[in-house]
Amino acid sequence: MNTNSNVYTIVYTTLIVVVAAAILSIAAMALKPKQQANIKAETISQMLTAAGFSSKEDLAKLGNDKVLAMYSQNIKTAFLIDAEGNKTGELETEVSGIELQDNLKLENKNIQNGNPSLPVYVFEKDGQDINVIPCYGAGLWGPIWGYLAFNADCTEILGAYFDHDSETPGLGAKIKDEPSFREQFKGKKLNFDNPDNPFDIVKGGAPADNLSAIDAITGATMTCNGLDAAIDTWAKAYMPFLQKKAAAATGDDCCEDGCCEDGCCEGHDHDHDHGHDHAHHHHDHEHNHQEG
Amino acid sequence: MNEDLKKTLLNPIFKGNPITVLVLGICSSLAVTVQLKGAFVMALSVIIVTGLSSFVVSLLRNSIPNRVRIIVQLVVVALMVILVDQVLKAYAYAIDKQLSVYIGLIITNCIVMGRIEAFALGNKPIPSLLDGLANGAGYGMILIIVAFFRELLGSGTLFGLRVLPASYVPNNLVILPPMALIILGCIVWVQRSIQKDLQEK
Repeated sequence: MNTNSNVYTIVYTTLIVVVAAAILSIAAMALKPKQQANIKAETISQMLTAAGFSSKEDLAKLGNDKVLAMYSQNIKTAFLIDAEGNKTGELETEVSGIELQDNLKLENKNIQNGNPSLPVYVFEKDGQDINVIPCYGAGLWGPIWGYLAFNADCTEILGAYFDHDSETPGLGAKIKDEPSFREQFKGKKLNFDNPDNPFDIVKGGAPADNLSAIDAITGATMTCNGLDAAIDTWAKAYMPFLQKKAAAATGDDCCEDGCCEDGCCEGHDHDHDHGHDHAHHHHDHEHNHQEG
Repeated sequence: MNEDLKKTLLNPIFKGNPITVLVLGICSSLAVTVQLKGAFVMALSVIIVTGLSSFVVSLLRNSIPNRVRIIVQLVVVALMVILVDQVLKAYAYAIDKQLSVYIGLIITNCIVMGRIEAFALGNKPIPSLLDGLANGAGYGMILIIVAFFRELLGSGTLFGLRVLPASYVPNNLVILPPMALIILGCIVWVQRSIQKDLQEK
């Protein structure tokens, strides 16, 4: 047979590609449940690491089941909030059916649209609440994401963990691999007075007196800019919730002993504290805090 | 025939080693040799990919249209690499994450395409399979030697277990890629002083 004719070439390549695609689809379908269980455990380990319960390395040694159990034991509540910081739904935290809001890519889009459904994971450690929220954005080569852990009133960052899809090993990948980069987040705070840019990652070194900035990684400017933008975008989306938490802690005695653990202080009017109009009628007003 | 097979199998391990003699696959050998575990999985992945790709291409060798030869080879190699990546994601997720982009980059590893072009297209499936496996093994062997020194001196551990006393201060230079190149250079040096015919005049 003439293997160099046009018809033969076209039929042959088509056949090869179809066969390859079929093999890959079958493999992907067969392996998917196992892969998703891994991803779930990975996401949970990232949160536990950010919240300071363990380290990523130790959790990796535990295996998926124990990581899930550890999450269930330490979590107090997990829920979803809307753009105004009001609670809209619960996430299951029982070990048998842990629910996570981990499609951060979709939520990132929803933040731009002004209609997000953002997760808040409230852990409890030594009697203190730890609020863990995610962030997501674009690095140099692909998506980057991570988790920030705040203290009970969301005024101080307790820890952070970041991950990436395909940043350059040794440079951009240091947002994940370099513990000293993540350490910098401890004790920092978001700048509530500047909701558009509540946090900075500064090339060449952040001023020591700036509590809302850390040093960028040398040689990873694009990744650091992307992470900065990711934190800013997501922190801005969470801002109403975080501000309510902070206001509750300073303003109202009732809230200090934990009656507002659902995070939105229903029944208490704190709106005068920060000039937002978002009590219980959040259906039709304009969000002035959405990304352009 | 038996002699031929033996030569096919042993030549790539030492005398015609893809890394130290053909100088292929340097990039990933610098990147994934910080720890033995990663190097070991990478070596295994490359062995599987080179072996199976050579085998499949050799099976198809008489039917492949010459004009789209490279593309068909790439489809086969990419298929194998994605399969390996999917299996690792399911059964060795932590290591897959650690190897990150380098598993995907096996596709561009010159050893794979090099062996298909140079051997599998002109030989029967079984010798091609052995040739692929042996070349992968030759690559893997160098990877593991480099990773042995880098993990031992850079972290004081082997396969994550501490072997040097806690008083040993890890050498951070060994962790960095340049040191992998230096170790690789030393291996080439040792090999060429044993095998005098490799020395250039």
